[in-house]
Amino acid sequence: MEVYAYKCRRCGHLHYPYRMVCRNCGENEHNEFDPVPLPKRGKLLTFTVLHSLPPDFEVPTLGLAIVELTNGIRITGQLRIEEPTSGMAVRGEVEVVRTEGYDERLGMIFYEA
Amino acid sequence: MRSVYAVGIGITSFTRLEYPLSEIAAYPAMMALRDCGLSEVDHLYVANMGGGRVNHQTGLASAVVDTLSLTPAGAETIENGPASGASAIKQGFMAIASGMHDLVLVTGAERMREVNNLEATEFVATLTHPLAEYVYGVTLPSLAAMFTRLYMDKYGVTERHLAMVAVKNQNAALKNEFAHLQQPITIEGILDSPEALTNNPYVSEPLRFFDCCPVSDGGACVILASEEVARKLDRPTVRLAGVGQATDTHAVHEREEPTDLLAVRGAAEKAFNMAGLTPDDVDVAELHDAFTILEIAESEEVGFFPRGEGHLALERGETGLGGKLPINVSGGLKGRGHPVGATGVAQAHEIVHQLRGEAGERQVEGARVGLTLNFGGFGNNVVCLIFVREE
Repeated sequence: MEVYAYKCRRCGHLHYPYRMVCRNCGENEHNEFDPVPLPKRGKLLTFTVLHSLPPDFEVPTLGLAIVELTNGIRITGQLRIEEPTSGMAVRGEVEVVRTEGYDERLGMIFYEA
Repeated sequence: MRSVYAVGIGITSFTRLEYPLSEIAAYPAMMALRDCGLSEVDHLYVANMGGGRVNHQTGLASAVVDTLSLTPAGAETIENGPASGASAIKQGFMAIASGMHDLVLVTGAERMREVNNLEATEFVATLTHPLAEYVYGVTLPSLAAMFTRLYMDKYGVTERHLAMVAVKNQNAALKNEFAHLQQPITIEGILDSPEALTNNPYVSEPLRFFDCCPVSDGGACVILASEEVARKLDRPTVRLAGVGQATDTHAVHEREEPTDLLAVRGAAEKAFNMAGLTPDDVDVAELHDAFTILEIAESEEVGFFPRGEGHLALERGETGLGGKLPINVSGGLKGRGHPVGATGVAQAHEIVHQLRGEAGERQVEGARVGLTLNFGGFGNNVVCLIFVREE
């Protein structure tokens, strides 16, 4: 499973998340973006351990992070590392990140590389 | 453009209020009308973020205009996240500046305590990016926490600096009878004592309980008028001289330099340009300290201090009452409370109060120019207002 970035067909600029008009060249005629799988490796830019969780989460704490991937794109995801430090190498897996009733939502979870 | 004046103000206590949302919006409006001695207006703007979701009430402006018996005046609800308040004031400004109206009532209200704290936080979290942030369990405290860690790494801000903001603003609230928090705190109690982790647990590391604003109910109102109307009223003349707004990427991780708050910088620049003033001219400011780090970062982005030096100005006491540039003498969001839709109007209320010289114990001596910064999203939609006292 993958999380996708969106590449503008006119200028090649990569966007994550999806947007309808290219941030770089303004291309807006045909919604022309190609989905490109995001790399799974990167480094930890910043992180937090959330102690006050949204009602859907039945765990004591939740690790959250912004990761800079190897192609330079950044992504927000969950973090499952005991003692994280800024700048450390991480690897991502696409897994269930949230369950809303019977609805399972997928996203990127980062582990120690 | 015509000049626009703030002629009347009113506010409720910020706390848990046991009356309907429409009345939380209407009560400060009644006070503001009494403040300027008027009984009619041309138009109302009602700022609110959560009525539909939290209180099961939509079309709030229609309820408010009727409960105030101000029909058939025009009325609209303005929703722009936590910046709804200043956005509504901006709408009022445009209506008068354009010549369309002479007298506009702007009231902001929120009733968040109808649900518990976690549900209130979850409601505010719905403003984050649905697919790239919200789905992961991202809340506003967690975005602020990740921002704080970057700021600490880059500029040497410490937990002690954050605690200093908390103590300054929460204790300032003791001089504001309408503020939510009326309990003094000390650095010892929330940071240094052996009980500090019990008194002040982590909400989202490195942010602790006392780094976050409380969840409050409350309403605030500002009445705006054209120069012609304002001159006829027997109130000090405070002009809304600058209005600026800017936006930034919806997802925080997409910002090129993640410690920049470009929408804060942009909104302030536009407001200063319109007012023909500079950051040096400001005597008193209300910044959006939903989290302690934001007061430090915003004080730099609006241009009061160089980048990375906001915490140094704080250390020198420049941002306290009696300092060179007092920030959040009302208690700010941290001490006064943060009923999201009301906050931007409450900030303007405080500045008008200060510029009139009527702020009592917390008066900034000789204040002539005041600034408010209302921060929506996590910095993706920001409105800055500049008020000037005229003689």
